[in-house]
Amino acid sequence: MRKVYAIGAIALMFAACRPSVSITTPPSPGPTLNFNNFLVVGDDYSGGFSDNSLTVRGQLNSYPQILFEQFSKIPDPRGAKGPFIMPWLESDNGYPGPKKVLGYWVNSCDHTDSMLAPIDYPNFLMHANDDLPYLSGVNNNQVNNISVMGIRMADYPVANYANLVEASYGLPYARRFYFDLAATPHAELKHRVDVLFPTVFTMWLGINDVLGYALYGGQGDGTGNALEQSGKFFNPRDITRIGAFDSAYRAALNEVSRTGANGALINVPDITLLPFFNVIKSNGLIVPTHTLADSLRIYWGGFGITAEFDTGIANQFMIRDHNGHVRQSVPGELILMTCPLDSIKCAGWGTTFPIPDTFVLTTDEIQFIRTATDRYNYTIRQEALLHHLAYVDMNAYFKTLPAGSPFNGISYSNEFIYGGFFSLDGLRPTQRGNALIANEIIKAMNHFYGSTVNTVDANKYRGVDFP
Amino acid sequence: MKKHVLAALVLLSSADLFGAGYQMNLQGIRQMATGGAGTAWPWDASTIFYNPGGLGRLKSIQGYASLGLYMPSTAYGSNMSTARTHSQTYVPFNFYFGGPIQEESKFALGLGVYSTAHIGATWDNDWQGSHMVRSIRFKATMFQPTISYRVGDFLSVGAGFVYAAGTFDMTYALPYHGLLGPQNNLGDNGSANLHSNANGVGFNVGIQLRPSDNLQFGLTYRSQIVMNIVGGNASFTTPVSLESAYPNTSFDSYLPLPQVASFGMGIRANDNLTMLLDLNYTGWSTHDSMRINFEQQTDRLKNMHTPRRYRNTLAARVGANYKISKVVSVMLGGYYDPTPVRNGYVSPDMPDANRVAVTGGVAIKPLPRFTILAGFEAMSSTKRTARYDYGGFSGTYKTEAATTALAVYYNF
Repeated sequence: MRKVYAIGAIALMFAACRPSVSITTPPSPGPTLNFNNFLVVGDDYSGGFSDNSLTVRGQLNSYPQILFEQFSKIPDPRGAKGPFIMPWLESDNGYPGPKKVLGYWVNSCDHTDSMLAPIDYPNFLMHANDDLPYLSGVNNNQVNNISVMGIRMADYPVANYANLVEASYGLPYARRFYFDLAATPHAELKHRVDVLFPTVFTMWLGINDVLGYALYGGQGDGTGNALEQSGKFFNPRDITRIGAFDSAYRAALNEVSRTGANGALINVPDITLLPFFNVIKSNGLIVPTHTLADSLRIYWGGFGITAEFDTGIANQFMIRDHNGHVRQSVPGELILMTCPLDSIKCAGWGTTFPIPDTFVLTTDEIQFIRTATDRYNYTIRQEALLHHLAYVDMNAYFKTLPAGSPFNGISYSNEFIYGGFFSLDGLRPTQRGNALIANEIIKAMNHFYGSTVNTVDANKYRGVDFP
Repeated sequence: MKKHVLAALVLLSSADLFGAGYQMNLQGIRQMATGGAGTAWPWDASTIFYNPGGLGRLKSIQGYASLGLYMPSTAYGSNMSTARTHSQTYVPFNFYFGGPIQEESKFALGLGVYSTAHIGATWDNDWQGSHMVRSIRFKATMFQPTISYRVGDFLSVGAGFVYAAGTFDMTYALPYHGLLGPQNNLGDNGSANLHSNANGVGFNVGIQLRPSDNLQFGLTYRSQIVMNIVGGNASFTTPVSLESAYPNTSFDSYLPLPQVASFGMGIRANDNLTMLLDLNYTGWSTHDSMRINFEQQTDRLKNMHTPRRYRNTLAARVGANYKISKVVSVMLGGYYDPTPVRNGYVSPDMPDANRVAVTGGVAIKPLPRFTILAGFEAMSSTKRTARYDYGGFSGTYKTEAATTALAVYYNF
């Protein structure tokens, strides 16, 4: 019997011993990178703008902030040193207008639908200090992230930019972010470089050089040959002239890399795949009966316009194009998210009344956007090669979204609200999207510089908050 | 005595969760102690599992019962995070009863109740793979009535029908969270739970060859058992606005337990030393994908079809039994079991890698008809860095497991 106890004791010993394993991968800067002073040059995509507004939470979870946190985990003396300063806001309600939150939207024409949709944050109250210029009070008012909401490459040589954009277009951001309101963005960049003396930087500009054109349904020239308006200022609803983009980009890059800093250049994604342009499908017209299909065909035939409708299929909406012609849209054309759903549902928009061209991107307008994007990206690629900088093909990454891009078990897509990547404005990323963008930049830098900066688990950040 | 009963109860009440892996070899303790090799040599009534053909070799009816403690742990690491499965103990049991229908009869009958297939792991709620698995558990108990016929000294054959009954339970995080953000431990991230019974049928046949007292062979074939899951419960916890997108519904699925063809050889070198070899060819390739079909689907809740593409494997097991005296024997062994999972398909719900183990044990025969067995196994997988492309997931895994087991049998 004693032997039985002995065996039992052995069994218990095994029960107490628990196998364990530890796996770690220490981050390192690689042979050349020095992360000490990190500068970010960008626009709303780099400033933490999300849900159609700027919030503290958006700033704190912007991809630059995430990059800084990862860079500062490098134990080497070449790891990032704080503080990492953005022009922090005082409140989280949204600046300058309310942020979008998810709520219930009721169709105002017949009060039938109740669907989850973005609504304005109801308790919005802007903090008065948010409208004042930001002074960090650290190291000669050091600022590490000089991303201004809505800024274009084309704006960089424009004097008095901060005052001009607020007066003309109601964009007050530069006033909070800029050291000298009368200066050009380029001079502002020079000032920040002087103060910070960056050792590493990222630069992501160019999205707004095409986005303004798209957001208004392609009202400008679109060909990439547009001329300046007064004072070197380009029409914000047009595509920036290619030559103007190139020279402003090169000048800015020379400025930011003048200290010998290494870094990454991020290219311009194809904005036509943003949810803003894909929520309302151009073939979203449902015709319930044959009689209605016939009468619609006859109705448009009366204007000498050929249009096809049928039951049981997805019919293309009727639109007015940039030249004023009324016609049926063709597959691939895009309806803007701002097109009022009530009007589609109850006022016959797209059915008996053409959707106005300010809500439509037609095939040629889409081609203008893509041509300009490719052309900008060609320049960015050339500059990366010339300056020996990492090139982040964010466009290639964004193009994986429509099919669903799996990350740690979540399939991220460009679907509105549910896709996880884009926030409730349908244009800018959520915090999870920011983390995924940070990962793409880290991977490109690791690949180019031989560093081993760790990527982040984007799923731990916030996506869209569901009520 | 009271104290010991209490201790035993504590052990029995430990959570019967299971670590990484999919199949185990704990159906007989002497076999476990000799690296899992048991196809050739019918030591005891557990040959009902290892080789039904060996049942006809038993001299008398035998009752056999065993209990094991299995403690696996899987560690995970990537350049984003590290994690480890929760400490857990699984308590598998086996029961066999059988032998010749009467003394000197060539016919033998038996019943085996044992478990072969288990997966199970529990991770922290917010670990990096939580959107694929937070916890998973799949276990099955087999009931195998068996008949064996001893053709002669040279040949004995046997066959058993296998009915398997088990449970499947899986929890994973949904991609959506409420207003508090994705703080998983607060329960604010949506989660899904799939729970069901599972059952299936199959068979187990074997031939036991005995050219001489000192040389024996075994050939067995255990069929695939498809564990069918019908009408399981799928329940979801989500923010209120998503409740209609994730309705509580039922689901169907299946998990194949693979077919295994085994060859075994046993050599008795002298009166004391028996050496054993087993080769198991396992037909994992039928585990091509994992399908979960929901009865009620929505824009958010869609059928899941995740590719697995397992490949067949050949495992090798060796062991030795050394008889120290009439009362005491000791066992030693080991095995190498290569992974069926290709790189690119290493999913965190069933991470797997090549495994090696050392085993050992002791047998004590205090009475002529009564034997006590104790065995252990220390298993370790190779450290494996692998991807799961379908989920956009990758990392390094390592699994270790300690097993101890006790068995008693009595010859009537």
